[in-house]
Amino acid sequence: MEIVVLLKQVADTEARVAPTADGLGVSTGDAKKIINPYDEFAVEEALRIKQQLGGSVTILSAGDDKAAEAIRTALAMGADKGVLVNDPAVMASDGLGRAKILAAALKTMAFDLVLAGLRAVDDDSHLVGPAVAELLGIPHVGGVLEVTVENGSVFCLRAADSGQARVKAMLPALLSAQKGLNTPRYASMIGIMQAKKKPLQTLSLADIGISPDSVGPNAAKTITKAFMPLPQRAAGRMIEGGTAQEKAANLAKALKNEAKVI
Amino acid sequence: MAQLISDRRDVDFVLFEQMEAQELAKTKQYAQFNKKTIEMIINEARNLAIKEILPTNKPGDEKGCRLENGKVIVPEEFHRAYKLYCEGEWLAMAEDVEVGGQGFPIIVTQAASEYFVGANCAFMMYPGLTHGAAHLVEVYGTEKQKELYLEKMYSGKWGGTMLLTEPDAGSDVGNLTTTAYPNGDGTYTIKGQKIFISAGDHDLVENIVHPVLARIDGAPAGTKGISLFAVPKIWVNDDGSLGEDNDVVIDRLEEKMGIHGNATCVMILGGKGKCKGTLLGEPNKGMRAMFQMMNEARLGVGIQGFSFGTAAYMYALDYARQRVQGRSLLEFMNPDAPAVTINNHPDVRRMLTWMKAMVDGMRSFIYYTGICFDIVRSSNDEAEKEKAQGLIEVLIPILKAYCTDKSFEVCVQAMQTYGGYGYTKEYPIEQLLRDCKITGIYEGTNGIQSMDLLGRKLGMKGGKPFMDLVGEMSKTVAQAKGIAGLETLAGQVEEAVGKLGEIAMLMGKTAMSEKVLTAFTYSYNFLDVCGDTVMAWMHLWRACVAKPKLDALTGGDPALITSKKDAAFYDGLVKTAQYFGSAILPVTLGKMAAIKNMSSAAVDMLDEGYAGK
Repeated sequence: MEIVVLLKQVADTEARVAPTADGLGVSTGDAKKIINPYDEFAVEEALRIKQQLGGSVTILSAGDDKAAEAIRTALAMGADKGVLVNDPAVMASDGLGRAKILAAALKTMAFDLVLAGLRAVDDDSHLVGPAVAELLGIPHVGGVLEVTVENGSVFCLRAADSGQARVKAMLPALLSAQKGLNTPRYASMIGIMQAKKKPLQTLSLADIGISPDSVGPNAAKTITKAFMPLPQRAAGRMIEGGTAQEKAANLAKALKNEAKVI
Repeated sequence: MAQLISDRRDVDFVLFEQMEAQELAKTKQYAQFNKKTIEMIINEARNLAIKEILPTNKPGDEKGCRLENGKVIVPEEFHRAYKLYCEGEWLAMAEDVEVGGQGFPIIVTQAASEYFVGANCAFMMYPGLTHGAAHLVEVYGTEKQKELYLEKMYSGKWGGTMLLTEPDAGSDVGNLTTTAYPNGDGTYTIKGQKIFISAGDHDLVENIVHPVLARIDGAPAGTKGISLFAVPKIWVNDDGSLGEDNDVVIDRLEEKMGIHGNATCVMILGGKGKCKGTLLGEPNKGMRAMFQMMNEARLGVGIQGFSFGTAAYMYALDYARQRVQGRSLLEFMNPDAPAVTINNHPDVRRMLTWMKAMVDGMRSFIYYTGICFDIVRSSNDEAEKEKAQGLIEVLIPILKAYCTDKSFEVCVQAMQTYGGYGYTKEYPIEQLLRDCKITGIYEGTNGIQSMDLLGRKLGMKGGKPFMDLVGEMSKTVAQAKGIAGLETLAGQVEEAVGKLGEIAMLMGKTAMSEKVLTAFTYSYNFLDVCGDTVMAWMHLWRACVAKPKLDALTGGDPALITSKKDAAFYDGLVKTAQYFGSAILPVTLGKMAAIKNMSSAAVDMLDEGYAGK
């Protein structure tokens, strides 16, 4: 069973972020970088499937130099090898551009199953997983909560509108992981020591046959007009009144006359 | 959300820029530990500490431990955290690979500990004590004892403790009465009572190995007749299987001010005459074994204390940055001026700056001591090793007492920063303050530490280790004098180091004169000024690293401090060092002057003079 996990490095979810001076980007300052939490579910599931059926787990990421750290962390969790597509165009691409890059890289690799996170917590586009599946022409099951691989097929429980659905797909397929799929393991000390020796291959766009013009800012289908900070929360207001009845009356008055909600 | 427990940037600064831990990879012992590996380890330690261990801290405090049917039940939240901690193989991270460890440098384990212990000290005492006990087995155990216990303990499957204190043998351990009767088959029957035993029993593990100090029947009185025994909670058969219950009975749990998540046990050994143990090391050499383990144990408690300090500071800083209250002092008369966050108020700045000076200085102090341990472990140069060992001997009592007491004060200032809310259980400071207090008391009270410093360490090897310490400080002073902008600070530290040398001479002489009792009424004050001076040295050293980097980033233009990455960090570091030199060191000189007066009032006064009986 050859499993590839698509992994994105993002700023720590606890980081304080702000729009850049030109308003067209988001500055994460010195924030620590982590594996996108949804991708962690994908890594964990891949390791569990490998434990059960054998084979290998490859981590595939498109990013910059720093992204190698996120791949190493996944290797420390137990994945076997890593592939990083490292090109300036990657960071300037929108979701569809990234999907093109990842799909092209996957075409150079052998795989039976691809796992991805349902969404990345930085740009929240929910797009890359299904777009990669579309570009590869393989089935996609989104938001999986349970995965069982059997006889060349994968059986999934996935979230659906007002309920859940059981879905079967033929392999190879791409699944995107929803919160609740599993509890990701922590890298162990031995895992960290072993991760240093595991192969991590770096590829350029040329290596995967992508022309730089077909991705990056100029090919982007999404255009960012501006990022704005959240409006400052205004101070609360205490409702005056000597007794509970008086306060309730004043509150009702304020809701009716000032807020005009009743 | 803000950074929790510790400022990662400062942890990295001390590790890689000040102490240059990555250089250890040049030694054979630590060849595997390059910067990337160390960084990954700290990332994972922080991750596990914040996600899994920190959430157990408050429930651990609220629920505490229970004694039910003779067994101690820990807060249920501890089980998952303990499992993950053991699975990650963190327990023996510094031990050699041959005994099941990972062989990490001590300084790296300190950075990891800062996060783990800062997340939940009471919880971390379970694996921490297991580690200490396993280390005793590793160093003093027979092949059989190692085969039976070591792997089980270093993996966290079994626990470990240290049974030393008795009702009349605490600071005076030579007074202990627990007795071991030889059975003729290599085992001893143990009888006695032990108190204040941390982690004496718990349900995180299937068995516990208790190292026990006891006197073999007929052995000499005092410390010369004390031996060390390995006494399992459940007897371990020769084939490693578990045998019968070993008559180690938990009589009751102490009700304490803090660290409620850790069970402090009163234990009866051999109440039914059925408690057995085997000698750990040679007969009557138990105290020697204890002393060899003491440096590490005291370093560990110093880190415990410090972890409370750094956690309290980070909480207080975050609170001060968010809490809006009062107008700016400059707008005090203007009723329309907006309220500002309290970190804008000078009096809050006073507390934050003092806390930062303490926390940053202590981190450097502790990691430096860790590097000394690593030199002893990894250097091929015998002279270098001997010097590092001497520095360890002098620094350990200072580190243990100074860092635990100053961290408690940091908790006090952190609570003050919160105002009334800090005093409530809604915020984390009151627990940190309660939990922190014990670190100044156990593992040798801080008074005992100061007596160790004055009585044993100051004059050790003709005073060479202490002079080496002064020599290391002077080197940094000389270096700092050549760095533009640090001249004043270098002069301040130089004065303090010089005066410390004089005070040390005076203390040494007085302690050997007929005024010995008076000298020892000042042993704690002496330790305190030693600690202040080490901190001043550390801040000067930090500034020596940071100032040139700051100047390179800004070219001396203050306007660039806010725009260049890292510039504000280095600038803060230099300003903190200058604050230490200008606002704290003069008080230290005053404290030295007080010692010099050598008032004998505390010795001369009659007991009746203290107050009526």
